[in-house]
Amino acid sequence: MTDLLALVVQQSINGIYLGCLYVMVALGLTLIYGVLNQINFAHADFVTVGAFAAFFTVTRLGTKLLGLPDTAAYLLSMVTALGVGAGLGLAINAAVFAPLRERGDELRPLIATIGVSVLLENFQLWLFGPIPFQFDSPFSRETIRIGRIFFTAQSVLVVAVSAVSIAALYAFMKFTFLGKALRAVAQDRETAGLMGINPNLLIALTIVIASALAGMGGALLGPVLVLTPFAGATVIVKSFAIVIIGGFGNVQGTIIAGLLVGVIEAFTVQYLGSGLIDLVVFVLLLVMLVVRPTGLIAERKEENV
Amino acid sequence: MKRALWSFAIAAGFAAAPLAVQAQDKVIRVGVVMPISGPASYFGVMGKEGIDLALDQLKAGVNGYRLQVQYEDSACSPLQATNTVKRLLDQFKPHIVIGEECSDATLAIAPILEQAKVVQLNAGSVTMKLTESGYKYVFRIFPNAEQQSNPLAAVAYNTLKARTAVILYEKTNAGNDNADGFEKPFVAMGGKVLARIDFGRDVNDFTAIATRIASLGKIDVLPTFGLEGQQVRLSQALAQARIVKGGGGSAVQMGSIWLPYGYDQKAGQSSEGYVRIVQFDPTEKRKVVQDFIAAFRAKYGADKVPTHINAHAFDAILLVAEAVRRGATDSESIRDRFSKMKDVEVTTGKITFDAKGQNSDLSVVHFVETQKDLSWKGMNWR
Repeated sequence: MTDLLALVVQQSINGIYLGCLYVMVALGLTLIYGVLNQINFAHADFVTVGAFAAFFTVTRLGTKLLGLPDTAAYLLSMVTALGVGAGLGLAINAAVFAPLRERGDELRPLIATIGVSVLLENFQLWLFGPIPFQFDSPFSRETIRIGRIFFTAQSVLVVAVSAVSIAALYAFMKFTFLGKALRAVAQDRETAGLMGINPNLLIALTIVIASALAGMGGALLGPVLVLTPFAGATVIVKSFAIVIIGGFGNVQGTIIAGLLVGVIEAFTVQYLGSGLIDLVVFVLLLVMLVVRPTGLIAERKEENV
Repeated sequence: MKRALWSFAIAAGFAAAPLAVQAQDKVIRVGVVMPISGPASYFGVMGKEGIDLALDQLKAGVNGYRLQVQYEDSACSPLQATNTVKRLLDQFKPHIVIGEECSDATLAIAPILEQAKVVQLNAGSVTMKLTESGYKYVFRIFPNAEQQSNPLAAVAYNTLKARTAVILYEKTNAGNDNADGFEKPFVAMGGKVLARIDFGRDVNDFTAIATRIASLGKIDVLPTFGLEGQQVRLSQALAQARIVKGGGGSAVQMGSIWLPYGYDQKAGQSSEGYVRIVQFDPTEKRKVVQDFIAAFRAKYGADKVPTHINAHAFDAILLVAEAVRRGATDSESIRDRFSKMKDVEVTTGKITFDAKGQNSDLSVVHFVETQKDLSWKGMNWR
């Protein structure tokens, strides 16, 4: 393999891995927007909560209480983070978002997501303190080498979990009654209600799925992030950009945009400089807004989710 | 009417009470501006630990004065630090302000404190601009970028026989000044900098950066200037790419005083062979250091080892107390006493401020190398 080819392959792998991490975060954002027409500013904090849930599952529950080996404890932590994310989403929807939605005001739930974000950040700051936690996945320590190409077992896991999550989400949306009902609510909430679908239940389900994805994303991101109560904030801005580039509320667009941004980032580091990553990504965002404001995949709204 | 008069009298009494207390109680008001929230908030938390410990030891007062401290969160942000300092000046009226930790925020508050003629004692920023801008009320006990980077460059070239370097640094005033501080002398000695790679504080995955470095050819040293969390991830990525010794490569990663004690344990085997300068070394035998460690453990837990951040904050309060011991009673006289300080021994060495307010004594700054068991080995390099 020539030097150039090896470099291109290596950076492509780096970019796909990074893109999958972004997709895991951005999917929940786009899902909520697709169904509720609402941006969830607290999404980053759901990711952080998931990362902490995974961290404590590995370091306390898995290895110490249950005596599991590192790998089993980490896999268990992904399930825990998924559950914690789902539970948190359910609780916050019931306590904050649902009562505000019932008042028929579009703006208040949006503002409430900012409040929830600040609340979660500060609660975690109080609980865990600001000193970074060292969260190492056993899969991060395993480096796989094929010729001159290298990647960690963690990156294989991230790509695999992302692919399974995307496939499961797609199958749920396309082939299950609840998925179809959810798409109906996204298309027209009132008409769906007239057809016997309970929109509130499906909105709650959407928030639960999005939060669960964020939680599991946190478990995958934990060993990559500098784990503090503000950890999620470092990926959320880019995730917003990905959602916009992909087309707000469009799941397929988000996946493509996530991978694209990951690969662009890797090659920006290689050929332009890591300090220019944000510049390149946000220039791309602006170009998309001007040239193709509907995003990479422009579909009718009802097809988005 | 009578009731209204009583109410007025009580209200006036309450309003006058703090003034009366201030007038009777001789205090030196110390504002502490540190990041307590945000990604750099560990600076603020560790700083507060050091300051609280020093205050415990000074409970009896100094020369009849009590040190009154007010903590404010500046979040490592120039904007928030500016607003915080303005509020502090307006409401607390400090005689001296300790802070900030992050260079960008430190630079933002320096002109405000200068204008207010309030002493700024900095214990954590490296940017050259702080003491090179002609401020009369700025003092710094933390070694500046050149004081940290010059010895790194000299050791890289002369001791490690390095001829090629890739400089890694965060995209801030501090990172940039440290990168410049290494590059200029290293190139002047005959070394070659193959690349300067900067990164924002939101970068989490360093694999792409490590891949780029691996494609640059033979690299001897990698001076790195960043916050601890990012440095841990960076070292791990460099080891995975087999660039540094910790991953089976040949390059030596070098670091500065930025990195707190405990980094090696967090980075694991990837930190093996990491060379850095340290100012506060918990293994140092000086009595003041061992007394500090004993007091720190007694207060915060037997298993805790103080970092340089704890130590610098502790020292900052000791210096204020020393100024008061020497007769300082207000901002102007604190400035005067600081200017005349020479060889004041604290946990991070000896303090002698030069004409620009920079501590010029680097006698305890020394090199350590991370060993296979992740312990430090002191190196006799100058």
